[in-house]
Amino acid sequence: MRAERVLQALTASLGEKLRNPELRPREVGVRRKWTVEEIWAEVPREAIPQAVATLKNLGPLHISIISGHDAGDVIELLYHLAVGFGTEGGEVMVTLRTFLPKSDPRVPSICGILPGAETTEREKIEFLGVEFPGIPRRDHVFLPDDLPVHPWRRDEPELEKFLHRMVEWEKGHERKESEGS
Amino acid sequence: MSERNPRDPNDPVLPAVDEVREVELRGLEAGLGETFEVPIGPIHPALKEPIRLTFRVRGERIVGVDIRTGFAHRGIEFMGMRQGRNLIQVLYLAERICGICSVSHPIAFTQAVERAAGIEVPPRAQYIRVIISELERIHSHLLWAGVAAHELGFDTLLHLTWRVREKVLDILEELSGNRIDYAIPIFGGVRRDITPEQYPKVWEAIRYYRGLQEQLLDAFLNDPTVEARTRGVGILEPKEAEELCAVGPTARASGLRKDVRQDRPYLAYPDFEVRAITPADYGLTPLGDVYDKIVVRLLEVGQSLDIIEKALENMPEGEITSFPKIPALLAHLKKAEGEGLGWHEAPRGEVIHYVRLVSGDESLLVWKVKAPTYSNLMSWYPMFEDQEIADIPIIAACIDPCICCMDRVYVVRDGKEETWTKEKLLQLSWEKTRRMRR
Repeated sequence: MRAERVLQALTASLGEKLRNPELRPREVGVRRKWTVEEIWAEVPREAIPQAVATLKNLGPLHISIISGHDAGDVIELLYHLAVGFGTEGGEVMVTLRTFLPKSDPRVPSICGILPGAETTEREKIEFLGVEFPGIPRRDHVFLPDDLPVHPWRRDEPELEKFLHRMVEWEKGHERKESEGS
Repeated sequence: MSERNPRDPNDPVLPAVDEVREVELRGLEAGLGETFEVPIGPIHPALKEPIRLTFRVRGERIVGVDIRTGFAHRGIEFMGMRQGRNLIQVLYLAERICGICSVSHPIAFTQAVERAAGIEVPPRAQYIRVIISELERIHSHLLWAGVAAHELGFDTLLHLTWRVREKVLDILEELSGNRIDYAIPIFGGVRRDITPEQYPKVWEAIRYYRGLQEQLLDAFLNDPTVEARTRGVGILEPKEAEELCAVGPTARASGLRKDVRQDRPYLAYPDFEVRAITPADYGLTPLGDVYDKIVVRLLEVGQSLDIIEKALENMPEGEITSFPKIPALLAHLKKAEGEGLGWHEAPRGEVIHYVRLVSGDESLLVWKVKAPTYSNLMSWYPMFEDQEIADIPIIAACIDPCICCMDRVYVVRDGKEETWTKEKLLQLSWEKTRRMRR
């Protein structure tokens, strides 16, 4: 599958909602050259399910991961999807970027379209405090259920408290060891 | 080998299981069908972290499973994103995400950073990265095959596979200095070259494994016990594998031709024309059971040998890194601004790293890591459904997490707790093998 075709389909489906679409080609291989193309684009949060459904219609769809990061007033999510596996060089990596205001960090779940996204959405709930309306399970995957902080939030007021405790514990541990010796 | 259908009642291997099933059904009719919970874990370290699997069972059958992870979440991404760590320090962290795929994560991470910072990798360095990662695949698949044989109660096969695995570890030690954590990739190239004296040793290892290939395939695939214990067990249908975004041999055993080296080539992989292997390449109809996962992994050992051979024959001459001096590399990385994705087909499936660099800061702004088991976690749900307790070890092992340290099982029955050790679970598994042999 060619990246242009994927980009055309996304543009046709989303229209103006698809912002700053970008094709990033790269040549790979030493003796046998091949061009791998990635698509990077920005999509408003309400259009994420529509964009994922469009990609699913193009061919077998795989979600690698949702990356997330606290960018000040907003939380930035990056959906790294790959469409069209099965043939040599046939898969196109599509990264959809979306911004959620911190006052209302919600984005519709894509588990209904792509059930494999559940683990990564649950991870974003616990690490960034993002909510995914429509997700089948929302309990923690990696962090303890009773941990009240979201560690990847840069403005998390409680986080330093937990780090401080961690450092205190380490100090105490070292002291005990030196006393023992 | 003829076409197989694990649900075929006339299959000569299956009546023993069906008889057990019939007894269970009679029990259910008599009102003995209450369900109870069997929690397993949480010590279970071959995932990024240990895991707890809580099974709901009725008689010997699993009717549901709940998976809980995170008992040893080390927060590696969080540590990598903290201020004051430069990228080379983070590379050491990336190398230690997994002990078995200890070159897969650095390869994906260095590619992500190289794309973000616009660094080129010399051709010879690309070939060396490919050779090391394929050697790693051989050692990982043989390790898994041995563990699988042990879970089935076939320890002779475990010792055979682990004995032959030593050869590839010796070669990795010869090339990198270490049996694991090879520290080969660095941004812009590799840290060690393959010297002319080392070539004959690698060729000898290739000949050694070529000679063993038939023997290994025969020992695993034509053994009635292995076949009886793995056929029709832990099935992942192709549709489920696709929807749940399974990766690596787990997806390929279900018949999906999904391999990052083929689908989205990177480094020097286009030179080797890699094609994803499914059981169809062995003349079988893919079912997605444990047997098919053995087929795929053993065939991939042969595929890796092909790739290493071709790489050694066509190895380009030249530099092994575009930044021979580390201070120059660090200065370049500090100035770089941008984001990048790096991927790699690890022995277990797709590894992906996303990074974002900011000019003037030597630390990472964003780092996200995806290990293959993260994608395969969801595949466990359909695989465990309607299976027997005695098959838990082999099904849990078939996506290739390491189950060796699964330490205990609590059985809560009639409100009373009873501790089952891993030995007892394995005992159940071995007893099943013996029952089937009779």
